[in-house]
Amino acid sequence: MSSISAKTCLKRVTILSGFVLLVGVAFLYSGLYPMGADTPHFRATYWVLETLREQSVARAAADVVVPENINASDRLLAGGADYNDMCSGCHLKPGKTSSDFSLGLYPAPPNLALSHDEHPHSDSEEAADKRRFWIIKHGIKASGMPAWAPGHDDERIWNMVAFLKVLPSLTPEQYQILTAREAGDIGHH
Amino acid sequence: MKNTMIRSITLSAAVLLTATAFAHDPSEHMKKNEKPQCAGMDHSKMDMNDPVAQAMMKRCSMADHDMKKEGGHDMHSNMQNQKTMEMKAADHDEHQH
Repeated sequence: MSSISAKTCLKRVTILSGFVLLVGVAFLYSGLYPMGADTPHFRATYWVLETLREQSVARAAADVVVPENINASDRLLAGGADYNDMCSGCHLKPGKTSSDFSLGLYPAPPNLALSHDEHPHSDSEEAADKRRFWIIKHGIKASGMPAWAPGHDDERIWNMVAFLKVLPSLTPEQYQILTAREAGDIGHH
Repeated sequence: MKNTMIRSITLSAAVLLTATAFAHDPSEHMKKNEKPQCAGMDHSKMDMNDPVAQAMMKRCSMADHDMKKEGGHDMHSNMQNQKTMEMKAADHDEHQH
């Protein structure tokens, strides 16, 4: 008796799974999902994608080794100029609260000039550095964040990480001085 | 014929992929050469153990050094121009006499 009910149960589960799969494929090909960057994901979709991203980055960045001289002042000069040229358009800077990119990209790029407390990540400082390095180097799929590894060596990426660590504490005046590039100055390598 | 087409498509794809893989020079994404505005920097309030203060001091002393170099160069070239003009004037006077 119990073996028959188990068989029936398995049959029902299989039929239901097949039906769900069929509906999923039909939805996929229907073109009904709104792909415009000005229409937010459903809350569940956002949660799934965000969890997938955070877990993946945390796992991949776990083995990254932070250089001992990450807080050296020379790194700030090289990293600051690169940040201003490559990142500030999306991730903003002291005294600037929005840009066309920060308003238009979805998901919105985080404002890295805000203090760490204002970000949702509660990593330790070391874990945060590893995370920053990995994201700058490899980018994030379908988010607008490029991988900077092609054309940028690790040392140069660590300089940007060093700058990101102090960025929230900078005033607009300090930011201007640290990120200014002199003629012939193309960063320290 | 078919093989030639496949080869040329493969070759084009390979060339495109190789081109995108080339490392680029940092100067390619330099927006502009902006001079640091060091005039408003208050040294008395700066903690010299702070890497930010150290970096600012380095940047400003580099900018100061560059400005002096530019000024010196300008002075030197002005002096040279003046010398050339004086020589030309003397030469001109000699011809007139």
